Amino acid sequence: MMAEDFDRILDECIDRINRGDNLVDCLSDYPAYSEKLKPLLQSMHDVQKTYTFTPSADTKRATRQKFHAALGKRRQMTPVLSFFKVISRPAVWATVAVLVLAIVGTLVIRPLLNPPTLIPSPEGNFAFLISDEPNDIGDFESLNVTISRVELQAAGSGKRLEFTPEIKTVDLTQLQGEQSQEIWRGNVPAGQYSHVYIYVSEVKGRLELTGQTVDVKLPSGKLHISMPFEVTADTVTSFTFDITVVAKGNTGEYNLKPQIGESGAQQEQKPLE
Amino acid sequence: MNIGNRENISTINEYETQLSGLYEEYYDKIARYVYVHIGNKEEAEDIAGEVFLKALKSLKSYREQGVPMQGWLFRIAHNLTVDYLRKMGKRRTVPIDSVALPGNDNPADTAEKNIEFERVIEAMKQLTTEQREVINLRFFGELTSKEVSSILGKSDGAVREMQRAAIEKLRGIMGVER
Repeated sequence: MMAEDFDRILDECIDRINRGDNLVDCLSDYPAYSEKLKPLLQSMHDVQKTYTFTPSADTKRATRQKFHAALGKRRQMTPVLSFFKVISRPAVWATVAVLVLAIVGTLVIRPLLNPPTLIPSPEGNFAFLISDEPNDIGDFESLNVTISRVELQAAGSGKRLEFTPEIKTVDLTQLQGEQSQEIWRGNVPAGQYSHVYIYVSEVKGRLELTGQTVDVKLPSGKLHISMPFEVTADTVTSFTFDITVVAKGNTGEYNLKPQIGESGAQQEQKPLE
Repeated sequence: MNIGNRENISTINEYETQLSGLYEEYYDKIARYVYVHIGNKEEAEDIAGEVFLKALKSLKSYREQGVPMQGWLFRIAHNLTVDYLRKMGKRRTVPIDSVALPGNDNPADTAEKNIEFERVIEAMKQLTTEQREVINLRFFGELTSKEVSSILGKSDGAVREMQRAAIEKLRGIMGVER
């Protein structure tokens, strides 16, 4: 029993030191074990000191870019793979046979209906960020919003472009006020744009007071902001889409809304390659 | 698309987000973990990057593992390290010249530190493979003993016991009064 206690205390001290606590604090919390603990924790320190090194920032940056590029590519591929998985089933083949003419018809007009999909790139000229204007967000312990896609509408032609966020789920409680999170970066054709649409597939809220999950409504399944902005080829345009959560009176229900006053685009110089 | 399929994609998307979030916190720790095994910093950094790429490709299999994602990353790191060492044809130890000595003191101090580091490296070599793995995951991966237990398939208590025995052994071999 004593040995188990000691193992547990040693384990706790190792955790604390790993989290940045110091050896002396841990020893003073367990004076009865201090004499036995000290040499062991000192050995831990010696071992860590011997092997420690900080990976080079350049290598870390390069591998991070590689990882995000692979992630972006994978997210582009997922719907395609799922499609093939579905059509490989006999029942679907039967449906396909019945609807073949309709599909052919759809294929002809499909390019006109579906907006072109933009490809993510860490060196892209457009970054899309999410933020939260604090209204009733204080009621929440967490409020996770899952965004399935984003559409940008060009001014004039009305042509739409879409992209799939690299980070799909954001917790709005972590993005209050000046805080924001980049969810996609890539190349967007230079030009004037007038509307931004966010398609939300899921909203999961947990209340701070009760810990209960709560219904957050978004009847249309999308958030829309009408705002002119320009994207240029030689600068990075960062567009922040601000979302806010508002209580519906005393019903215990909440609505998710776009906050146009806090949303908008800003431009900065592209980093050197 | 049926509901099951949609759920699968949604889960995979969540895993992707989770994996992306772990990059900043765990890249350095994984690089250190690999470094302890292979003794080459540049290679360790490359392998750490490879761990995340491999994890991304294998996210489907993650669901079947039942371990925290960070633990799963270290499993991948372990496998890549073993592959690396197999390719190298022998298990390398950290060459003393590559250990970063803090500061640039006088030659006598440097020599003393070299001896101290050599003693630590020698002591690490004396541990059993499992003990070394526990120490590596706890000290450099900074995983909890519960996470280590899920990786090694042992109970928390067994990991804590192995950890204590390993540190006592290290202490005994290094055996210096400070």
